[in-house]
Amino acid sequence: MHIVEILQRWTESNAFFTWLRESPSVWAYPFVFFVHTLGLTFAAGASVIIDARLLGAARRLPVAPFARFYGAIWVGIVFTVLSGVVMLVSDPETKLTNRLFPVKMLFVLVAIVLTALLRSRMSSVDDAESAVPPRMRALAALSLLCWLGAIASGKFAAYF
Amino acid sequence: MKSWWLVPFCKTLHYFGITVLVGVVGLVDLRIFGVAKGLPLRALQRLMPWAIISFLIAAASGYALLRINPAISLGPPVNVAFAAKIVFLVLVVLNDVLYFATGLKRQVDGVGAGQSTSASAKIVAAVSIILWIGVVYWSRMLTFLAGAI
Repeated sequence: MHIVEILQRWTESNAFFTWLRESPSVWAYPFVFFVHTLGLTFAAGASVIIDARLLGAARRLPVAPFARFYGAIWVGIVFTVLSGVVMLVSDPETKLTNRLFPVKMLFVLVAIVLTALLRSRMSSVDDAESAVPPRMRALAALSLLCWLGAIASGKFAAYF
Repeated sequence: MKSWWLVPFCKTLHYFGITVLVGVVGLVDLRIFGVAKGLPLRALQRLMPWAIISFLIAAASGYALLRINPAISLGPPVNVAFAAKIVFLVLVVLNDVLYFATGLKRQVDGVGAGQSTSASAKIVAAVSIILWIGVVYWSRMLTFLAGAI
């Protein structure tokens, strides 16, 4: 049997996920979706601002201290991923057969990997040097693209 | 018959605007609470024009979405979540206007790298965070209460 069918049958027989999927309560699916939106707007928003700084915006700001924001960004990412997984498991057929879903997942995966890479290099950026190293700028540009790509593919997914 | 991509396009613009806005507001508020103390507040608050521009992009795209599909928000009857979202947005703007008008913003500009902000600054930042969470909450409830998750 197809994995999607297996997952779909499982979720339809699971009490919690059935409740999540079918309950008219705001504390069911809508709340999980709310957590997802909150987590992603903060994680993506903060990351995009930091990426912009790495690409040369707001040069008066020293780069290295931005590393301290990643704790909060990771919290945002964790909440976004967890809520995303819960929503996926509650309705696997709709999500996993959507043509844009793998595109969104790719953007999200790359964005998360880049978050780790940027964080690890950020505290060693020497602001006495006039420019951010080219490799970091490339990572920042890709990060920016991936966060925005994840958001866009998320919005367009409902239409595919 | 409107092009199919108009709504997701406007929603994407709306989200892009919100993302940058939440990014700036989030980072400034976190710094006010003492995260990333190496950042001087005057330079960080210079990002506020970006927040204002992205707010306008979010407002314009939000208005476009309202014009394309007014029934979701305006009914009749008026969607409670839509009304609540507008109320929270008005309160957010009020909070920010007070931040400038009381001179608190100028006071915070004086907080340099390694320094702490005043209790008043932290209160305004906390109110800002709570109100924005409210805006996001009511935005999510908007589509839910209109029957379209």
